[in-house]
Amino acid sequence: MNLDDYLITEEPYYSPTHNEIQLFEAAYANRMPMMLKGPTGCGKTRFVEYIAWKLKKPLITVSCHEDMTASDLVGRYLLDAEGTVWHDGPLTLAVRHGAICYLDEIVEARQDTSVVIHSLTDDRRILSLEKKNEVIKANKDFQIVISYNPGYQSVLKDLKESTKQRFGAIDFDYPKAEDEAKIIAHESGIDTKTAAKLVQISERSRNLKGHGLDEGASTRMLIYAAQLMSKGIPLEEACEVALVLPITDDLDIRNALSSAIEACA
Amino acid sequence: MAASTTRGKYVISSHSQEPAQEPGDPDERLVFLINEGKHLFPNEYYPLWETACGKLSHAGYGALIPLSYARHSPKLVKILNSETAINFAATVSLAAIKVNRAAAELLPKAAVIAAHELKSTQAFTSWVTTIEELIYNAPESLLAVLERTQKIVSTLTPDQFRTWVLTGLRSTGDDALRQINYFSFTDPESEKWFRHEAGDVVFTDLDRRLKLYLLSLWSLRPPIRDLPASTSPLSLRRISISNGVVRVPEVFPGFHGEQAEKIFRAGLAHVGAHLVYSTKIFPLGELKPIQVALVSLLEDARVEYLAIQTFPGLRKLWQQFHVAKPSGPKLVPLLLSRLARALIDKEYKDKDGWVQKGRDMFFDPQNDMTDPAMCRSIGVLLGNDLGQLRAQFNAKTYVVEPAYRDDNMGLWDFGDQQGQEEDSDGIFIEAMRMDREEVEDDSSSEQEQDQKENDEDEQQYHARESTDSEQRESEVAVRYPEYDYLTGSERPNWTCVLEYFPDFGDAYKIERILEKHNNLVNRITKLIQTAKVSLPERLHRQSVGESLDLDACVNAVISRRMGDTPDPRIYSTTERKHRDLSVMVLLDISNSTNDKVQVSGTSVLELEIQATSLLAYAMSELNDPFAISAFCSDGKEDVHYYRIKDFNSPYDTRARAHLAGLHGKLSTRMGAAMRHATEDLVAQRTHRRLLLVISDGEPSDIDVDDQQYLVEDARKVVRSISRLGIDTFCVGLDAGGDNYLHKIFGRKNVAVIDKLEHLPEKLPLLYLRLTA
Repeated sequence: MNLDDYLITEEPYYSPTHNEIQLFEAAYANRMPMMLKGPTGCGKTRFVEYIAWKLKKPLITVSCHEDMTASDLVGRYLLDAEGTVWHDGPLTLAVRHGAICYLDEIVEARQDTSVVIHSLTDDRRILSLEKKNEVIKANKDFQIVISYNPGYQSVLKDLKESTKQRFGAIDFDYPKAEDEAKIIAHESGIDTKTAAKLVQISERSRNLKGHGLDEGASTRMLIYAAQLMSKGIPLEEACEVALVLPITDDLDIRNALSSAIEACA
Repeated sequence: MAASTTRGKYVISSHSQEPAQEPGDPDERLVFLINEGKHLFPNEYYPLWETACGKLSHAGYGALIPLSYARHSPKLVKILNSETAINFAATVSLAAIKVNRAAAELLPKAAVIAAHELKSTQAFTSWVTTIEELIYNAPESLLAVLERTQKIVSTLTPDQFRTWVLTGLRSTGDDALRQINYFSFTDPESEKWFRHEAGDVVFTDLDRRLKLYLLSLWSLRPPIRDLPASTSPLSLRRISISNGVVRVPEVFPGFHGEQAEKIFRAGLAHVGAHLVYSTKIFPLGELKPIQVALVSLLEDARVEYLAIQTFPGLRKLWQQFHVAKPSGPKLVPLLLSRLARALIDKEYKDKDGWVQKGRDMFFDPQNDMTDPAMCRSIGVLLGNDLGQLRAQFNAKTYVVEPAYRDDNMGLWDFGDQQGQEEDSDGIFIEAMRMDREEVEDDSSSEQEQDQKENDEDEQQYHARESTDSEQRESEVAVRYPEYDYLTGSERPNWTCVLEYFPDFGDAYKIERILEKHNNLVNRITKLIQTAKVSLPERLHRQSVGESLDLDACVNAVISRRMGDTPDPRIYSTTERKHRDLSVMVLLDISNSTNDKVQVSGTSVLELEIQATSLLAYAMSELNDPFAISAFCSDGKEDVHYYRIKDFNSPYDTRARAHLAGLHGKLSTRMGAAMRHATEDLVAQRTHRRLLLVISDGEPSDIDVDDQQYLVEDARKVVRSISRLGIDTFCVGLDAGGDNYLHKIFGRKNVAVIDKLEHLPEKLPLLYLRLTA
């Protein structure tokens, strides 16, 4: 089967914060399973896309949800008019044909899913399809990447120790102020001075982390705000829509944030 | 004596256009006034009014009260109606009996003022009702209130007036002297609540959002307090920073609604700028008062300049309060305001040479804006210039303008020169020092007090971080609102919960309890273990269930087609599998818990400790997150709160020793303690959260007479907690307070036990509530 549809043809914009690209390339050379940690909206998914483009490998992304089972990943028999047909799941697809398989927010999925990947994440690199009575040896291009938000999940939803220890990890955080401004400017088309102002605003919201906010405003949020501004929406309003209102329902925090935004404007 | 005025003797005066001369003799005057009334009252009401006047004059209140009534009450007819005017006599009579003649005499006059303002009969009647409440509850204060009728009725609606009066009665208890202080506005609390009722924005309303604002801008979390009462008039109070503590006046008079919020915000942003950029303290040295004022002004401008570099939006926020005009007499305070404006407002033009010079010197590109020293050198020069202009500067009356700026006392090092200022220049310093003392506290040992307050602030600042601060008496002080059922609203910041460090007892006592009740412990542990409190989980591939599992069905069909035996487990069902529950156990340790329980013969507190130790053992065995706290109270300003075990600390010997060390004392202000306990519970991220109150009954406190008040407050807390998704349950010990507990928690949420052995029987009730 051809995975051309999964190839990323255009270079996604990614601005490295440290040496993560180099690290990841080294890991890929050994097909080491990787774990990307970091708060929401800091660029994990974008990073994977960029890497897949750079390595010219197809990328299969699976967003995990709490009702997802192992067969959603591996595949299942389906019924059709003639009889039963086996249908490969996204993971099997990647294993068979050689792709980077990115499991986004893996802790959200049911526990049995994380066990399925165990045999793929050690030196065996095999996937056994019990129902089909088949064992697939992983394609040489196959690599597994998962993302993981520590602290943001409850204790109940944590990765098993045996799963955690199968991965190398790269820690992501929001980029440095000037880098973040550059990213925002690039993604939205606004000038860097305005973008820098947005970064300054995000700093204000990140100060409130732990005092009523679970997370400060993410880079993604700032890009949204900037995109609104590029269409002529004034700063305060754009931030209200893209940043203040989504992030909290607490009126006092909203008020404090809006006033802080006014101060930055 | 007025007693001689009987009906029939009145001489009906002729219908002359000119008002007739009032006779000098009180009796005759009354007769005259009653005659006058005839023109004012409609025919059918006149005899009634006449009777009312007669009653007052026969009652032996003296001559003045009936005179006052006869003179003023006819005016009510015009504004309101005859009936109200006549019925009002009863209130006057009540005041005469319960209060004194002076108040009763003033009452009709005040009523006319009130009627003029209120205009409607309904509003007037409710004003009278509140006056009557005052007569019953605080007779000594009636006169003070009546004297201020104009101020009160022109600002507050009758409902707000009533709320303000009730607030006064609640906060002063039965103490007549404190009541008089409150109702004569001597007590600053009074003005605060008055403003609050009038709908003015008081700092209390904005407290949280402004703190978040500072945190958001600069990551600053300075302790912020109300400005304590001082003799300086309200309108002259300014924000003050000393030793890192920020004191904010409750109100900025003259600023309403949005403007008020803005000036508080501007003020705190200014404080933030000081805290970030005012890195050095100026030594006072030989500076003259005008120079001190100028250096302070320049320093204000400097920190604002720096803050605006980072946050340009702040310019707009601050600038709107600079309203000085470039004209007018060259008085020093006006010149200072003009200079202040010139330093922040780029557009502002001022032809005055001195202001221009100040501006030029300040914005000289040679200046290092980050160095406070520049303010000192410029301030000294500008001060000398003013001196040469022979402009008069009165340090005693000088107040920093605009109002959002702080008094700048925190910028100066006054050294230790107390009592050395003999020369005339020292007056300002002296004045400032006086101000400062007033601001600090009116305690005699200022320094000691200062030190202590600092400590407290420190502690509050570091709130929970300090775990090994065993020596400290009170680690945290937090204020909470309280609900008053009479007004149907919460009074903000009404009570103060102080956290005290719990005593140590004998930890083995707890062990012994567990040993003694070995089988109970097992039963309870099992019981809790079987309680599943979590989100229902969907279970697939079940042989029994309420819906078909589609995946399983497809698989079964596939198996059949492939010739295998299909798996018969094709149903799915939902089930609660875990216990995802945090429990906060809140123990009432008021004095009444020392009473013996009839049935078991142990004290209530003993029973509480026993029950808690069993529960705690079970929960810690099962790894359920739980916390234990205890409370008692000594008036609204001192609600004691003891943390026995926190959610994130282990249930170890230390926690057990604290539990064993509890002893019953003081009173039961349940609502405040529950509010405080909830703060911890809210942070817990479990599916269900439970506040488990163990109490012996009725909430009460030494400063509350009204039994229903604290019950209603606690009830309100339970309701508002449930809105946060937190369950409350109460274990009542002994049947005494049964009814109150039912009222507070709801009948289904109370289990009453009088013997430890009954605990396992009642516990299922609790878990049933949670899983239902």
